[in-house]
Amino acid sequence: MTVIGYLANGLVFSSIIVLGSIGLSLVYSIADFANFAHGDTMTIGAYASLVTFGAVGGLGGAVLGLPYGFFVALVVGIAAAAAVAVITERVIYEPLDVDSIGLLITSIGIAFVYRALIQIRFGSDFTRFDIQPLRPIEALVPYGVRVTLHDVAIVVSAAVLVVGLHVLLQYTDLGRKMRAMADNPDLARVSGIRTRRVKLWTWVIGAGLAGAGGVFLGLFNQLSPRMGFNLLLVIFAAVILGGIGSVYGAMAGGFLIGMINQLTPFFSDVVEALPIWPGWLARLLESLISIEYANAIAFVIMVAVLLVRPNGIAGEGAT
Amino acid sequence: MSALTDPRGAVEDLTRPEGWVLGVSAAFLLFLLAALLTGALGPTYFLFLVGLAGMYALLSFGLNSQWGFAGLINFSVAAFFGVGAYGAALFTASGSPLVELFEGVPLLPSLLGLPIVGLVVGLAVAFVLAILIGIPTLRLRADYLAIASLGLAEVVRLIVLNERWLTNGSAGVRGIPGFFAGWPVLGTFPEAMPGLRLEVIPGSPVLLETAFWQALLNVLLVLAFAGGVYFVLRRAHRSPWGRVLRTIRSDEDLARALGKDTYSFKMQSFVLGSLIMALAGVFYTHLNLYVGPGDLDPITTFYAWVAVILGGSGSNRGALFGGIVIVTIREGTRFLNDVALPIDPAPLRLLLIGVVIIAVMRYRPQGVLPPQRELIWPSAVDGGGAPDSPDSGVREQKGGGGDE
Repeated sequence: MTVIGYLANGLVFSSIIVLGSIGLSLVYSIADFANFAHGDTMTIGAYASLVTFGAVGGLGGAVLGLPYGFFVALVVGIAAAAAVAVITERVIYEPLDVDSIGLLITSIGIAFVYRALIQIRFGSDFTRFDIQPLRPIEALVPYGVRVTLHDVAIVVSAAVLVVGLHVLLQYTDLGRKMRAMADNPDLARVSGIRTRRVKLWTWVIGAGLAGAGGVFLGLFNQLSPRMGFNLLLVIFAAVILGGIGSVYGAMAGGFLIGMINQLTPFFSDVVEALPIWPGWLARLLESLISIEYANAIAFVIMVAVLLVRPNGIAGEGAT
Repeated sequence: MSALTDPRGAVEDLTRPEGWVLGVSAAFLLFLLAALLTGALGPTYFLFLVGLAGMYALLSFGLNSQWGFAGLINFSVAAFFGVGAYGAALFTASGSPLVELFEGVPLLPSLLGLPIVGLVVGLAVAFVLAILIGIPTLRLRADYLAIASLGLAEVVRLIVLNERWLTNGSAGVRGIPGFFAGWPVLGTFPEAMPGLRLEVIPGSPVLLETAFWQALLNVLLVLAFAGGVYFVLRRAHRSPWGRVLRTIRSDEDLARALGKDTYSFKMQSFVLGSLIMALAGVFYTHLNLYVGPGDLDPITTFYAWVAVILGGSGSNRGALFGGIVIVTIREGTRFLNDVALPIDPAPLRLLLIGVVIIAVMRYRPQGVLPPQRELIWPSAVDGGGAPDSPDSGVREQKGGGGDE
């Protein structure tokens, strides 16, 4: 595969990571804790849409190789993830009398409950959407780019959602309130913003985007109860890279981490081609920069960034 | 001490949660004893469970000396546990890849097969790993440490899974001897002991054979480990060093203003806890006689977390109690699956762990047995009685913190 091919794959995977990291970052800045249940919220979206798609079927026509029914399922997946998040906020987070570390620990319990329920209902095996896998787009194959129409659909949908969020944050009343709350919740409250309502909307948007990310992840790979939790660390890496609490930083971080993740095979080719001396160092690098360690590499980069710039690329509070 | 000389007074001194825990534990113990005597629970398996509970208690002590003492959110418990377990397994197992690697190298092959070498290597690797993880993360905000440590644990798990030449990959390491193999008397103790046959209830005899004596040795070993660690930690927690850590936990800026090098103190606490976790891993290797990458799964980390926050952060007694609860969840789900409900035990365990975490944070964030008198020198308390609990209004704000 050529560099362009890897970059194209990276773009598709980045779209999924960006959807996940925006939600995590929003919740981080407004509810003020690291939500470890975010990955499992993605899983909920994916499984909700799997069930819906099984029930409604294709519904006739298709756009970008995806039947109409899939888009219905996507909307249901987004709605289900948002609904579950709102219920969790109301029933569990809101009555809690603990600080942000306590909320963080609680969110792990919630993540386990989500995953356990999905695993009890659907089993721990991998499943797929009942959609015919497509062949790569013929016109692009000569350039070494092997992407399907489904991949294009993922990137386009993610772009639409990200632009929609940008418009919401910058040009609507709700967006201004959210930004005010992220900056200073107490000041927002005394200015007459109903912080509780804004918080609920944050959960709806964050979890909804996560649900969409989960559906696309299921389409890109497969579905399994662990899919979200496995991706969670990569998403955290993206969020920290971009600077916790900054939505635009999270977009940039998600884009970078997704790219690095999919470019790992290319990097390992580069390492193999370079004349690295001494020999043991070359062998060590070759064995470490391989596809098995793609997630680990994203993570080590995150730790390195934390060492140099503890506030990430965009810095704190630059929503 | 006072419990021996004045049992009635000791019982009256108990706070209400202490009384509850004591009562429930006693009832549970009676239940287990009944199951043992009727033959429903094999004595060897029972001792295995006791060993496992001791192992989780040890793991919880380790986490407690990080989270409970200094407030460090370490989500890489599984990594340190795994490093200890793999260190011990690779140096003692007959099927270890090290046997091949060391072949032909002078001196090295003679080190293999000795559990004490495995113990030292496991602890040494955990020490190095703790410093490597600590340097970049301990300066960061608490929640960054949580994320970074969970990720680094994942890196360790991936390495164990993928570096087959060193760890056997997903097949794990088999052929591990007991901890006392090769020791003068204890090594042959299980075989030397006669098989006993107890018949408490006619018709259902209880057999005590070699495996039983082996399990008994393991229990004694974990009691020695846990007892030693308990006393070291209790002493450390009350010492000036422990007081600095508690100050850091409640207000790091204050500790720094008082001229304490908080980074150095946090690193010491992190390394100490990691060594204890690795010790738990070493014991687990010789208890279970098999180690696989599944043991490094994040769930191991959260077993320890549940034990600590349920028992009461900062409380070593609580960690002990939490360890027992964890074994009950782990083995209880398996039992339930065998007997009553055909539900896969893995997600059921996950569900229970999740529910316990949420319930503790919701209803009792300070844990069941928060540290109270544990932190005070006995001679400093006037009547030796429990402090009066405030009627209302005081609620520890540091999630799950103790009443310090």
